[in-house]
Amino acid sequence: MDFNRCMKHQLIRKTVREFAENEIRPLAAEMDKGPGFPDDLMEKMKPLHYFGLQVPMHLGGADLDSISYAIVIEEISRVSAALGLCITVHNSVGIYPILRFGTREQQQQFVPPMAAGERIGAFCLTEANAGSDAGGVETVAQETEQGFVLNGTKIFVTNGGICGTILVFAVSDMDPARSSVFIVENHTPGFSVGEIEDLCGMRANPVASLFFEDCRIAADHCLGKPGQGLKIGLTALDTGRIGVAAQALGIAQAAFEESVAYAKARQQFNQPISRFQTIQNYLADMAVQIDASRLLVHRAAALKDKGQPFSAQAAMAKLHCSTTARTVTNLAVQIHGGYGYSKEYDVERYFRDAKVTEIYEGTSEIQRMVIARDLLTRPV
Amino acid sequence: MKILTTVKKVVDVELNIHVENGAILDKGLQYVINAWDENAVEAAVQLKESHKADTTLVSLGSGDNTDIIRKCYAMGIDNAIHIDDPALAKADSPTFARVLQKVYEAGDYDLVITGKQAQDTDAGQAGIMLAQFLNIPCVSNVIKIEVTDDSHIQVSRLGDAGTEILDVTLPAVITVSDGINEPRLPAMRGIMMAKKKKINVMDLAGLGTSFEDVGGTAPTSEIVEFMPTEKRKGGQKFEGEPAEVTAKVVDLLVNEAKVL
Repeated sequence: MDFNRCMKHQLIRKTVREFAENEIRPLAAEMDKGPGFPDDLMEKMKPLHYFGLQVPMHLGGADLDSISYAIVIEEISRVSAALGLCITVHNSVGIYPILRFGTREQQQQFVPPMAAGERIGAFCLTEANAGSDAGGVETVAQETEQGFVLNGTKIFVTNGGICGTILVFAVSDMDPARSSVFIVENHTPGFSVGEIEDLCGMRANPVASLFFEDCRIAADHCLGKPGQGLKIGLTALDTGRIGVAAQALGIAQAAFEESVAYAKARQQFNQPISRFQTIQNYLADMAVQIDASRLLVHRAAALKDKGQPFSAQAAMAKLHCSTTARTVTNLAVQIHGGYGYSKEYDVERYFRDAKVTEIYEGTSEIQRMVIARDLLTRPV
Repeated sequence: MKILTTVKKVVDVELNIHVENGAILDKGLQYVINAWDENAVEAAVQLKESHKADTTLVSLGSGDNTDIIRKCYAMGIDNAIHIDDPALAKADSPTFARVLQKVYEAGDYDLVITGKQAQDTDAGQAGIMLAQFLNIPCVSNVIKIEVTDDSHIQVSRLGDAGTEILDVTLPAVITVSDGINEPRLPAMRGIMMAKKKKINVMDLAGLGTSFEDVGGTAPTSEIVEFMPTEKRKGGQKFEGEPAEVTAKVVDLLVNEAKVL
């Protein structure tokens, strides 16, 4: 099952790597200093279809298969995980639900500007009292004759500071047990962006709180049917997990490559530290975990493309890749010693970026729940 | 306007190349598109975009060239021909030019764009010879192409004394320098569409010729042996008082290196 032998996938990897090395690498460390992505960089990414990776061509996208998609996210994240995060959230949980649940009119209205990169997507589920417990959403959608009025606050919204088209989970004022998803555009009166979060990693991504105060939206901005929120959310997250898994894989791959290069170059006791068995063991463990991660991601992606159930497999991929990202970046810092703890070396950034992959789009604990539920309900 | 552009698959010279007993070892070799040919492809695709030119790529050589051809498709080339014949492994520049002549004659092209040379052999002959065999104009080392009308282009070329601007009557062959453009990275959509395009693969017989017909059996030159480039020797470092060191360096330059 060596997916990488496919020529198309090799060309995708080579093309994205060339772009990432030439255009993103020189800016990555600087981008980490503060929120936001350079306009020039975003402009360069637009015509290459990075914002419409799996969008059908008639809606302005590249119509990539899911393995190609995972390769793109891995390669961008290998250089800048924060930008990889922007791209995967935009493409998966931003655009995908509209493609999957939207009406033809909604798709034609909202998807082309997103695929062109003119409007960045965001996915708003998390609130002060809702996250892993998606049923805890308190943002309210009051139904009126003209449509809906949203009131509530969403927190830790990836792409929050640059979002243009936002999917918002809210409960009905009549029935707080049923959530629905609404498409909100950033120019809608009553919508505003809070302060950018000061986070440990992924610092280039403008993660923010979003406020909805008497935010009036038209009736046709409800995605899918009213009350379908949980279904849309879970479906979106299944897809999103492939992207986050690929992102974590990219971080681990980057940390591993830096570690190999450093271990060969760093001399201690008159020899490169790569000659020491301890370092060799570290590198071997890192390589095994990364390879296994890649196979898990590609398996989940392949299942999705075949139209087969992939929820548990995406959860396995996300769980394993994010754990790998944390352990591999930790070992990478260890191999680098004091230098690895310094911002002079990229592994320090990878170390900070890795942790959150175990938290967002379903914590590792939630992934285990998804996997266990699948195991225990599967026919014997 | 119909454009024919040529693409050669070459060994990636950025990586280590190992030579043993006068031959290049296959082990560890990686292949890439000749960089100047990538400029030629970009130039052709730009003319497609600006003047609706129909672009065809031809790649010569034995073996699988699918990967480089797919990349060119992803960049925007319309059609591709691969002349895949084991005999071409031993071909010299005039033979390649004769094969290109056959391809050209089968296609009724207005303009041929090639890289000015291949980065593996650095011969720089095939494009110019093709023009000679076809008896059509040729301009080498081109850094700019402008379409004047259906039968004329104006090109700028890097000459010894500066940039030369020439009016060229079509059909013609131009060989391009890397200064002409920055080859685009394929867009994701281009890569997805490239896999659906067909590559017209044929051997010399399929092209209506033979290795003998194109002069392959009577080559004008033959590669006898490859030799590795000599590794650069380390320099010498002198320490001490400036006056002493200077005297020592001058002495060595005069008496050992004999350059002064």
